[in-house]
Amino acid sequence: MTVTETRPSTADSSRPAPTPAQRVAAIPMQIAKSPHFARVLFPIALFAVWLLSLAAVEEIWPFAVDVLPTPSEVGAFMWDEFITDTLARKNLYETFYISLRRLMSGFAIAMVLGTALGLAMGLSRATNAFCHDWTMAILAMPALAWALFNSIIFGFDDRGPILTVILAGIPFVIVNVREGVRNTPRELFDMARSFQVPQSKVIRHVLVPSLMPFMFAAARYCFSIGWKGLVIAEVFGGQDGAGWTIKFWYDAHRAHGVVGYAAFFVIFAILFERLVFEPISRRAFRWRPQLQTEVVEEAFGEHHEHYGEEETARH
Amino acid sequence: MAEIRIKNLHKEFGTGQDKVVALENVNLEITGHSFVSIVGPSGCGKSTLLNILTGIETPTNGTVDITSDGHVAAPGYVFQAARLLPWRTVTDNLLFVQEDRSDSTKQRCQRYLEMVQLGDKGDKFPGELSGGMQQRVGIARAFSIEPDVLFMDEPFSHLDAITARALRRELHHMWDETKKMVVFVTHDVGEAVELSNRILVFAKGGSLEDDIQIDLPFPRDPADDEVAVAKAHVLRKFEELDLLAS
Ligand SMILES: Nc1ncnc2c1ncn2[C@@H]1O[C@H](COP(=O)(O)OP(=O)(O)OP(=O)(O)O)[C@@H](O)[C@H]1O
Ligand SMILES: [Mg+2]
Repeated sequence: MTVTETRPSTADSSRPAPTPAQRVAAIPMQIAKSPHFARVLFPIALFAVWLLSLAAVEEIWPFAVDVLPTPSEVGAFMWDEFITDTLARKNLYETFYISLRRLMSGFAIAMVLGTALGLAMGLSRATNAFCHDWTMAILAMPALAWALFNSIIFGFDDRGPILTVILAGIPFVIVNVREGVRNTPRELFDMARSFQVPQSKVIRHVLVPSLMPFMFAAARYCFSIGWKGLVIAEVFGGQDGAGWTIKFWYDAHRAHGVVGYAAFFVIFAILFERLVFEPISRRAFRWRPQLQTEVVEEAFGEHHEHYGEEETARH
Repeated sequence: MAEIRIKNLHKEFGTGQDKVVALENVNLEITGHSFVSIVGPSGCGKSTLLNILTGIETPTNGTVDITSDGHVAAPGYVFQAARLLPWRTVTDNLLFVQEDRSDSTKQRCQRYLEMVQLGDKGDKFPGELSGGMQQRVGIARAFSIEPDVLFMDEPFSHLDAITARALRRELHHMWDETKKMVVFVTHDVGEAVELSNRILVFAKGGSLEDDIQIDLPFPRDPADDEVAVAKAHVLRKFEELDLLAS
């Protein structure tokens, strides 16, 4: 028997090194492939579509030009709001402060209540059986229905919008925490038991960290769903706040006001994600090779199916 | 000195059609300065036995007692898979199983990390280490509490030959110096013969089929005639049982 050894050929021998001219020629391709370019490209594309559709509508239906907002109108509106020069009753900062206070109250209550319920449902089959359909019902209910319902009950004060935030957000907290409890790492609890580690230490170093990714996903969903629920609640049952102000510009037939305010909304949500959630998640999940905080992708139908399978598998 | 007493031990998982017998009427005593290896085919209940001895599982029937000089012995357990806390650094994984966080404890943990050649990896998270490195952290963790009895479940099976050899030597030294008891599960008969003074052979269905004493001096060189003969003897037993099982 003979043993032959073949060395893998190096790149240099099979392909000549690129000349400087070729390198320069390759730069546009490199830029086009970079993720930064893709990020910048998105708003540019959006802007182009906006201008094109304006032009198209003008072509087909010339007298619509007053209704559709142009980028410069929206930009001017946003700048006026930014420097608190507004026709609305409250300026941009007062308005967002009011909405944010409601959002945070509802968010905090939903997180606390949802965590308690999720823990109970994860630990006890009976509690889960009792609460499961209710959770799904709340999840299936449109935020609009909650908003209308709450404004009928509470009239035009803070309670309606806050309750809407709670009801919109809480199913996501419950479902995520419950999945977290069901996915606690048994083999690590066993390890701790064999080394006779005290219970309090096990809770702090095993249980809580294992729930963290689920809590984090819960917080993210609850925040963004709650934010949308709040706007709807303020449109129908508020006298102030961001949702109410959008309605105000709508009633005043100022399309640029509606679009501009919605843009503030989006900017706020993105800033919050970047400045609050991302840094916290980077710190909390340093131990993960790659970040994946969306643990439970909640979709009403899908989850139901998955749940059914799991139940049959257990019996 | 630690003592292990196992009487009429029986362990089943599941009920009805899914019933699996993992251990069948095991009677066993291990006393003193023993290095006991447990060998047997996959699924014969080796890990289950260690889990019962360390209190993770409870027996279906029978009793186990582990004492050390009259009190309950402190076990150290090296698992078949490393079982580290992924969200804690290597050092914090070792500190997690300690009784305190004093300077002397920290120094002891560092010493055992150095023993497994991971002295510079204390600040890393388990996810940043290779599988073999994680396994070595698991070994250091069990050593670092300086247990009365050390249970090891195929601790070297994921390591390269050279590292495994070095760690076998360390394990032997520790056992020799501290006079502690080691219960060692392995698939590798050569490894069992090299390290132990007693080899227990389990068969499919979880029964203890053979109990072999090996009274050769240490260190044992696999090339040595007497060691080779002992290994051949155990292998023959193993084969006989395998034939019986099939
Ligand atoms: N938690 C459990 N639930 C149900 N069955 C189990 C459980 N743990 C072990 N078993 C079963 O008990 C038997 C013995 O398993 P065990 O893990 O002790 O085998 P082993 O000898 O360690 O095998 P290996 O060499 O492959 O590690 C197997 O049939 C296994 O399927
Ligand atoms: Mg095993």
